[in-house]
Parts: sequence; structure tokens; C-alpha cells
Amino acid sequence: MIEVRRLTKRYGPNTVVNDLTFRVDPGSVTGFLGPNGSGKTTTARMILGLTDADNGHATINGRRYRELRRPLKEIGALINPGAVVPSRTAIEHLRWLAAANGIDRKRPGEVLGMVGLESVGGRRVGGFSLGMKQRLGIAAALIGDPPVLLFDEPINGLDPEGIRWIRIFMQGLAAQGRTVFVSSHLMSEMALTATQLVVIGQGRLIAAESIDQFTERAKSSVRVRSPQLDELARAFATEGASLWRSDDSLEVVGISIEQIGAIASKVGAVLYELSPQRASLEEAFMRLTAEACDYIPMARGA
Amino acid sequence: MGNALAMEWAKLRPLHKTSRTVLLSIVLAVTVSALVALAMASSAARMTVTDRQTFDSIGISLQGVNAAVLAIAAFGVLCMTREYSTGMIAVTFLAQPGRLRVLAAKLLTHATVAAIAGACACAAAFAVGQALLDTKGLAVSWSASRLPWALLGGVAYLVLLCIWGVALGALFRTSAAAITWMASLLVVAPVIVQILPADIVLRVERWLPAQIGTTAMSAHPNPHMFAPWTGLALLAGYVALTLIGGAWRMVRTDP
Repeated sequence: MIEVRRLTKRYGPNTVVNDLTFRVDPGSVTGFLGPNGSGKTTTARMILGLTDADNGHATINGRRYRELRRPLKEIGALINPGAVVPSRTAIEHLRWLAAANGIDRKRPGEVLGMVGLESVGGRRVGGFSLGMKQRLGIAAALIGDPPVLLFDEPINGLDPEGIRWIRIFMQGLAAQGRTVFVSSHLMSEMALTATQLVVIGQGRLIAAESIDQFTERAKSSVRVRSPQLDELARAFATEGASLWRSDDSLEVVGISIEQIGAIASKVGAVLYELSPQRASLEEAFMRLTAEACDYIPMARGA
Repeated sequence: MGNALAMEWAKLRPLHKTSRTVLLSIVLAVTVSALVALAMASSAARMTVTDRQTFDSIGISLQGVNAAVLAIAAFGVLCMTREYSTGMIAVTFLAQPGRLRVLAAKLLTHATVAAIAGACACAAAFAVGQALLDTKGLAVSWSASRLPWALLGGVAYLVLLCIWGVALGALFRTSAAAITWMASLLVVAPVIVQILPADIVLRVERWLPAQIGTTAMSAHPNPHMFAPWTGLALLAGYVALTLIGGAWRMVRTDP
């Protein structure tokens, strides 16, 4: 289990990760979604103790990364598949990792087999394709047989066959009861791979729920245009709606169009538009994350 | 710490790289020592009796160590910069989150290799140099009283510079910057100092790492230089300062 609590990271005037709180549970693939530059990698690096948080913390099975005595046995991570000294062979790379955490000497060979690289274990990594490096990175993540796995953009640069392989592989790991946390900027890919979602935009949490809930919420919304948007936004929020605001309109999710009409009438607001919106999941995701800066935090359940 | 050491040994174990460094340092030491000894031997006929009495046979035979030092220092630099330039340092920190522990493990393993390589290089350079000097009766015996100290001084010099290399690598993170600094201090600084007025040269030269190394391997004390072990202690001070900077950057700046 990965727990992130009030995690915040600032670089100069920019808040890259902003008060992020979520939990990743075992037994399913949890997609970590957000557009490029939304803070996914920074969050992953903070979970892994590679970057210090300005505020808040992240724990793996209840302990912070730097407190783990043999981290590779607790969490496996793929962060940058190119991060291998090119003159080393694949098996040599895995051997030093195994040595670093007192892992069985047979394990490097086993994990190479698991990712289908056993035939090239003696070849230098410098000559590997990106797909092979990704597989080696996954083998490295599995070296300590950890219950928690974190993959940062594992499908970047892969061909369709490689993407399919990784998808099935990650689902298999989750089926074994492991926690699998995988970041991506592709909603369509996560829709196929993940069952749980953590969605962020501009460093803030947009959603942490099952993919079905997210789909339901994101696909249907109601657009409201009115000269009294502020008043309406407050009223909708107290009713438990999620809101995305643009200059002259409000996207309302979580309450029905009938309720919206009734609330508007109660507040006494003039409505210019009240229309149901249908979008593909990809469009909905783009809209949600692009407008995240204007996002008003959900009142629901909080 | 045991696991961190095991990790660094396992990185060094694919021996092609490591053994190449060891071999290169020995080859450099022997070649340069041989050339210097040959030059000395060829001018032996013109030497006076006093020349022969003050002739630093041990120091001349160990001249090659000044060349080997470049290979050993680069070996130290690369153990850091190779990881920082590829990003592999992040993987290292995933396996061993303690930054200082990783640094200590790298220092210990690389200093050990440097000590072994250094001992071989010093002994080989001395043996070859002496064999060539012997043809003109300029050799000393292996039982010469200053010899163990000179050899030990040479090894200490090499180990210190390997550690300095690791420290510079941790401080600068790129091979280009770290090796440029190393080469500037070892090779360029002595040349620049020679441009200065003679009386200043004598005062400044003794502070240079290369001069400290040469003095440590010499059998004849040079009044203008620090005593061999004083010099090495000073060099160790330089190394320690750089190491503090490198460790600070390793801990404070994200990989």
C-alpha cells in the first residue's frame, strides 16, 4: 500500500505538487493520470525518496522510503529506463541490484526470464532498444519480489505489442495481490489497464476513485451559463457537486440537471444556458485536467 | 553498510573496466619510469661524483607514478559521474537510500582497488626503472632504507588521488567538469606556477598536489618542499575539503 498525505513540492514560485492526498491499495492496478507536467514524476520521486517534499509525506506499507532497510524487497520502481550504465550487461546490472539488498543470487536470472530477456542477458545494455530497456527496468523493479510496484510512464516509446505485453504483465502482478501504481498521460491506455484511478492536474488531486466512477462522472456533465456563477458555484458545491469553471460557464458533475434547475431557482439566478454535455472519456479527461486550475474542491464526502 | 559495499563490489566486478584501469595505471607507470630512467642512464657518463652521490635513484624510478595517477584519478571520478550522467544514481539510491552510505561504500571499494593497482604500479615502475639504471651503476638495492617509505608514499599518493577523484565526481557530477578540474590541478597548475618569478615558485610549488606526490616518492629530502608525510597530510586535507563539498551536494541536491 502507498499512502500520500498532503504532499507538496515547490520549485521557486511554482507549486508542482499541491497538497496531494491519496491511497493506493493492493490487488489492483491503479492508474496515476495527469497531463505532461502535471506533477506525476515529481510525486513518484517523492514517494521513492529521490526528491524531498516541502510538505506532507508519502509512505510505503506505513514507512517512508528512506526508512526502509531493504527497499527493493518492499517496493519496486521503474522511473527512467535509460538509467543504466551502457557498458554493463543486463545480468550484471541486475546482479549489483541484488547484491545491494542481499537478494538471492539466482534472482537476476529469474526476473530476466519473467520479462522475456533471458536470451540477451549477456548483452550490453547500450545496444538495447527502448522496449528492451523498459523490460530490463521492470525486471529490476521485480528483483526483490516486492509487494508494491511503481511504474512511471512504462509505455512511453513502446510499440503496440510492447504496450499490450506491459498491460497484461501489470494486471498479472495486481492479480497476485500486489499494489501496482502506474503513471501515464494517456487516459485511453489507463482505461484498458487500470481499475482504480488517481487523477491530478497542475499538481492537484482531481479524482481518486474507481475507473467506473470516474467514467460515469466525467462523461456526463451539465454546462451552466449565468451572470451569477459565483453564487451558483457555492450552492452546487454545498449540494455535493464537482465543478469546473471556465470564464463564462460552469461544468457541473455529480448532481442531476433537474436538481441544478431547482437550485438555480432557489438562489434566484438568471440562467443563460443549462445543457447536458456528453464527451468521450479522453475528452472528459482533457477537459478536467486542463481546467484544473479553476477547479473548486469537491464538497462530497469531505 | 555490508550491503552497500556488496553493491559497489558487484558494480566493479565486471572486471573489464576495472582491470583495464589497473592495467593502464601500471603500463603508464612503467612506461614513463622507463623513459625517465633511460634518459638518466644515457647521461650517466657526464655525471660527476657528487652528481652520483645525490642522484635520487628511487625517485627517478618512480617518476611514472605521476602518469599512473591520472588513470587512477579518472577511475575515481568515473565511479560517480558515470552514474550521475546516465541517471543510474537514482537506481543506486533506490537500492541504498542512504546517500552518505553510498559515498562511503564507493570510497572504500575504489580506494582498495587503487591501493592494489598503486602497489603493483609502484613496484613495477621501480623494478623496471632500476633495471635500466643498473646498466650504468645508478641503481640502489631493494634493501635501501628509504625505499619502503618511497613506495608507501607512492601508493598513498595514488589512493588519495583516487579518493579525490570520487569527491570531485560527487561535487561536479559530470566527467568533463571533474576531469578538467583534476587535470588542471595535477598538470596545468605546475606549468602555470613555473611562469611566476623564481622566488615565488619556490614558495608556491610545495603546495601543489603533483609536487607533494613527487616529494613523497623521493629518497632525498628537498628543502623547498614539505616533508613527504607533511605533504601527504596536506593533500589529505585538500581531499577532505573536496569530499565535504561532494558529500554535501550528494545529500542536498536531488539526483
